Amino acid sequence: MTAAAPLESVEIEALVTDRYLDALLAAAERRAPDAPTDPSLDPALRRAALRLRDELVRVHPSFRFEERLARRLAEAAAGMRLAVAAGGEGAILPFPGAATAPHGDDPTKADPFDDALGDARPSTARPLPRRPLLVGGAVTSAALSLAGAAFVAWRLTRGAPTDPMARAVRLARLARDGSPVDLH
Amino acid sequence: MFGRGKGSEATGTAGRVVPLDPDRSLVRAAQADPARFDALYRKYVAQVYNVAYHELGDHHEAEDVTERTFLHALGALARFREEAPDDVAPEASTFRVWLLRIARNAVANQRRTLRRRPVTTLDAVGETAAPDDPERSVLARADASAAWAAVARLPGDRRRAVVLRFVEEMSTAEIAGVLGRSEGAVRVLLHRALRTVARDLGERGETR
Repeated sequence: MTAAAPLESVEIEALVTDRYLDALLAAAERRAPDAPTDPSLDPALRRAALRLRDELVRVHPSFRFEERLARRLAEAAAGMRLAVAAGGEGAILPFPGAATAPHGDDPTKADPFDDALGDARPSTARPLPRRPLLVGGAVTSAALSLAGAAFVAWRLTRGAPTDPMARAVRLARLARDGSPVDLH
Repeated sequence: MFGRGKGSEATGTAGRVVPLDPDRSLVRAAQADPARFDALYRKYVAQVYNVAYHELGDHHEAEDVTERTFLHALGALARFREEAPDDVAPEASTFRVWLLRIARNAVANQRRTLRRRPVTTLDAVGETAAPDDPERSVLARADASAAWAAVARLPGDRRRAVVLRFVEEMSTAEIAGVLGRSEGAVRVLLHRALRTVARDLGERGETR
């Protein structure tokens, strides 16, 4: 009885069976009825293998089903392309020029704005946090944020605003800082 | 036929020969553009359907599993990588093996669902085949065969291994990848399955 046999013996028998199956399935490609085998292989196993090869048929899905699923997959694929285009998913890409940035070889660790800051950044300033750039919809929001930051910086460097509301805000800010208030 | 090294290139990686996935170019094209997944679908739809049908014994259930398998594969394709751990044969990390592993999980989920409602057996499929439906008649004859029935009676992984070996003509290494077992374990599974089928057929006087 195989179940009671030592494990090593089972593995050896299994190896012989496996080699026969390899030969048998290869023989089917040549339309050969059988394949040569190790004489130690049990003839009952050989007969069972022959029957399984001949009688386990392949089935094919219906044409209608195949085409319906193809259409569904095409729709899903189109949805995925739209999602990528809209920034739903994206790839982390190195920012142009980042390969030469002084952050080692990993382009995703380089700060893409180092070059843009150039000498204007004080030497004592802490390095900006390293961050990857998600290409897609994030670019748009990042660009808007930069524009907003630039606008605020520009306004802070300007003189007294002419707009009454802006003047009121500026006065309130100066009062909070404890600076003398100049109404003119 | 895949899985036997035919038509595969080979490259050396970390001291061992790694056969390239014959579907590598199709996979990369589909990863770049999901619309090109269709080529992989056309190539493997019958195989996935076959595995599902032999596992579940019902065309409708097999269609459900096939659909779920390909939709999942399409969604997860970007994460597919040809990566064979050192203790796994390289041919077990192909797209085909990955896909059939998804199918195996889909079948397992379908089985859990089917437990909650009546199951149509393979025998019942044969009985309900319409006489004017040649395809179903052929299937009915196949279903009714003693060998078919003997395989259907095999326990889980033995049955799966037999179907993958004889119907899909997968190598032992590929089956190991699908079932998540070692090659040695798969060889023993197949050997014991054959012995059970041989005994079953012998007891029923079916041995030719």
